Amino acid sequence: MENSIFVRNRSVPIFIGVLTLLAIAVTVLSEGYGTGALSVSFTKVLGMTLCLCLAALAMDLVWGYCGILSLGHFAFFGLGGYMIGMWLMTARTEQVVRANLQNAVIPPTEAEISAATASQIFSVVGATDWPWMWAASDSLILSLLLVVLVPGLLALVFGWLAFRSRVTGVYLSILTQAMTLALSLYLFQNDTGLRGNNGLSGLQNIPGLETVGQDRISIWFFWGSALALGLAYIGAAWMVSGKFGSIVRGIRDDEQRVRFLGYRVEVYKLFIFTFTGMLCGIAGALYYPQAGIINPDEIAPIASIYLAVWVAIGGRGRLYGAVIGAAVVSLLSTYFTGGRAPNLNLGLFTIDWVDWWPVLLGLGFVLVTLFAPKGLGGLVDVIVRKDRR
Amino acid sequence: MLGLLLLIAPASRTQAQDTAAGPLQTLLQAQADLVANASRGTVQQVLDALIASDLDGVPTLLTRWQARALYQRSSDGLFVYVETEGANPLTLIDIDTGAEVGTASSREVAQLRPNRGVQTVIASALVEFQLSSEDPADRLAALAAISRAPEDFHLPILQDLMATETDDDVLEVAEVLLPRLIIAFDRDDADRVAAIESLAGNVSIAARAALNPLLVTTTEVAASLPDGANIARVLEPGAGLSREAAYAMLVAAELAPPLIPRAQIRETLAAQVVDGRVGGLPVAQLNTEDARDRAYAALVAEGLAPPAPTDAEIDAAVSSHVFYEVYREPSQAVTTAARATLDGIETRVGLFRVLDLSLDGLSLASIYFLAAIGLAITFGVMGVINMAHGEFIMIGAYTGYVVQTLVPDYTLSIAIAIPLAFMVTFAGGVAMERLVIRWLYHRPLETLLATFGISIALQQIVRQIFGTQARPLTPPEWLAGSVSLNDVVSISSIRIAIFLLGVVFFVALWLTLNRTRLGLEVRAVTQNPRMAASMGINPDRINMLTFGLGSGIAGIAGVAIGLFAQVVPDLGSNYIVQSFMTVVVGGVGNIFGTLIGAGMIGGLQKYIEWLNPTNTLAAQTYMILFVILFIQFRPRGIIALRGRAAGD
Repeated sequence: MENSIFVRNRSVPIFIGVLTLLAIAVTVLSEGYGTGALSVSFTKVLGMTLCLCLAALAMDLVWGYCGILSLGHFAFFGLGGYMIGMWLMTARTEQVVRANLQNAVIPPTEAEISAATASQIFSVVGATDWPWMWAASDSLILSLLLVVLVPGLLALVFGWLAFRSRVTGVYLSILTQAMTLALSLYLFQNDTGLRGNNGLSGLQNIPGLETVGQDRISIWFFWGSALALGLAYIGAAWMVSGKFGSIVRGIRDDEQRVRFLGYRVEVYKLFIFTFTGMLCGIAGALYYPQAGIINPDEIAPIASIYLAVWVAIGGRGRLYGAVIGAAVVSLLSTYFTGGRAPNLNLGLFTIDWVDWWPVLLGLGFVLVTLFAPKGLGGLVDVIVRKDRR
Repeated sequence: MLGLLLLIAPASRTQAQDTAAGPLQTLLQAQADLVANASRGTVQQVLDALIASDLDGVPTLLTRWQARALYQRSSDGLFVYVETEGANPLTLIDIDTGAEVGTASSREVAQLRPNRGVQTVIASALVEFQLSSEDPADRLAALAAISRAPEDFHLPILQDLMATETDDDVLEVAEVLLPRLIIAFDRDDADRVAAIESLAGNVSIAARAALNPLLVTTTEVAASLPDGANIARVLEPGAGLSREAAYAMLVAAELAPPLIPRAQIRETLAAQVVDGRVGGLPVAQLNTEDARDRAYAALVAEGLAPPAPTDAEIDAAVSSHVFYEVYREPSQAVTTAARATLDGIETRVGLFRVLDLSLDGLSLASIYFLAAIGLAITFGVMGVINMAHGEFIMIGAYTGYVVQTLVPDYTLSIAIAIPLAFMVTFAGGVAMERLVIRWLYHRPLETLLATFGISIALQQIVRQIFGTQARPLTPPEWLAGSVSLNDVVSISSIRIAIFLLGVVFFVALWLTLNRTRLGLEVRAVTQNPRMAASMGINPDRINMLTFGLGSGIAGIAGVAIGLFAQVVPDLGSNYIVQSFMTVVVGGVGNIFGTLIGAGMIGGLQKYIEWLNPTNTLAAQTYMILFVILFIQFRPRGIIALRGRAAGD
């Protein structure tokens, strides 16, 4: 037990403890299993926030630990969502089609059901045939594999190209941003097979669980998101606390020196980049069934920048920092832009939060960058140091 | 009351004939019967009299007459115009003065309805009358009317005109029109071929419009090739024509029985269900195509459904017929000449298209250059990632809009807006550098986050002030048109202006950086701030000025971009990624590189758009992919700094 990750990294038991308590509290207060104090939609917001925390955790690994400021990780997140979304939409639409054709005089053939499903899904973009990329959409297992494999493969190819030619620093950031923009523009086209700017919708209806009801499904997804976040946290803590973690941090601090010490820097960077891309894919696959809809706007470059900003606000290079940053900023954003925050009356001038929140948020980024480079996580340092005195 | 009306009626009749008899009316009344009951043979007499009179109202009269807007009042035989057909009561208008002469119900007047033949004669006379006008403008108008809707009777008229015409402008238009009319309506094929060949190398749309109808083909099928038809080509089933399409043509020509589509099989089966069984099979088993085929075959055997043709029958039917495309135009000499001439024209059109595309690419490149040049200074020279650069562009555009609301003269307002936008964004840039960026010079990745924060704050503030709807920034009138070389190559004036602005920027900036004290100091601080400082240069001041300069240029670019794009709060964010790519592709720290980068990205995007013109999003996607791949091979851009200055 001496070498256990729980002992070496004190944040892990605390984090798992807090996450467990949160999961229990939400379950007890939920509509599905408890008192009903938390509405279904708020339960979903919490579950979605956990998914964003997972993406931020991945971002922290790749940026905070390895020094690669990727502006493309939200694209991987979106891709994961698209992969699971294709299955959700196909399976759900097929059920509807089967129900509609049930009373036909002549029972439908499989080909007819498939054609009717396709025309129902793609009529919105004026097509009736299955695009090639939907080939795996009738199998849950394959779709779950693709959730990991497609973002992973994209990250692998892109990372291999970029790291091989030693694109670093701001150039890499701009290149990843270009990749994100290219992907979102590609998805925006109506004829590329993913329903263009309509995106995929109705994802909250889980095929086979029609009788369960959203109150329970939201809790299940919350549990799933919490489990994924907890496992990822333990895995990430294990990765960064060993020799691997030291090398990765070395790359962040002085890439040349690590290379001269004989380590193959590109391999480490490629591993981290691909692994975190896969993590983001999983996070996205958990997020979008709770959100119910995904469209190419989600993948726009600005979303990836936000991801980086969450990590910066929470505190780079510390895993809990990323989680805190993502949770705090995204929950506050939801609160202030949701229109439920009371307007602040300053006598002459009334602050309408929906309008002024982005301004405050933007200025907040500036202040955090200037005055608190360690982010909110820096507060933890202050507390811990006081303890020791 | 009735008696009173009866008393007035004869009185008004005499009045109409006495006072309303203008020269045109008199002329028509002289041959009133021929006018009212015009026939193709007799109407010419009336027309000759009208044309000989040379009255001003004749063209209007002919136009209205032809359009069945000429009426005759039954009571006194007066000819009048009616403008709104079907109104009740109808408003009658004098044919000489154009004044209203009264109203009448549709039963009190008779509409003159010249038949198709008479209409043609009238139209011909009208054209002739206009072409015989003294004023060349009238003749040009007549030619334009012919050009819009050419008819066969126009050809002799036009040939007559060309024999006597002296005005150069009219002659020029007529010479363009003549081959079109000859090609369309001449009866002599040799003349038509000559006319076709006279169009060789003419890239105008009119020339192509004259030739293309000659080459229209229809696809036909027959047992053997017909004699005497002008056949374009014979189609081979399986090669140029799919077997299914060939059979579908046979079905359409009723030379073969139709195929039975899957949906029809299902419907036929559904209609024949008896006691849950059809064709000897229970309905529940009919959920495969195979079972359905068997059930259908059983129905056919019972004579309850039409048999579907078998594959062998289809093959036999297809192979026993010939499929061919035949020209609508019967003369082979004409189609051959047209094909050869059109091919030549299309080669030239292709070359001009390349020129046009290059101009488009150049204009897009100058837009990217304008958007990126400020960034080339802040990012390229100083190494600062300024995500708020796009917002400076946006603020420049809004400055232009505000100036235009205050100064109504567009030329003057643009002249004020350009320096003002520079000043506003220069001040903004300096403030940002002082307050934020100078604390982050050693943390370049974090400037990205801080400036991103500024970017979303600025966007939202502008949204608060000006709202989300697009604001107009109108270019002055002398920039509104376009310059065209011919029907293929044209470029709008505003794009030329933006190109010139880009050139001016480039030269000015190059001179500033390479020929002034400030430029020298900027380059010194860029290469080695400490050494520069020890030489008495104040790096703080230089950094501030450089950043201000880059931001100020973004402001001017904003005015230029606002002139053709919509001025909205997220105007800038549409350009930011492209701008960064332009700088990175070109090579950081070098305005020549930015120029080449902008040229490459702009040209490439237009070229890809041309390959797939329906989809500009796809063009952008592929362009970005290309840039990503390009960076693999030249990670430091087209023009890479070498040695120490390259740094890291």
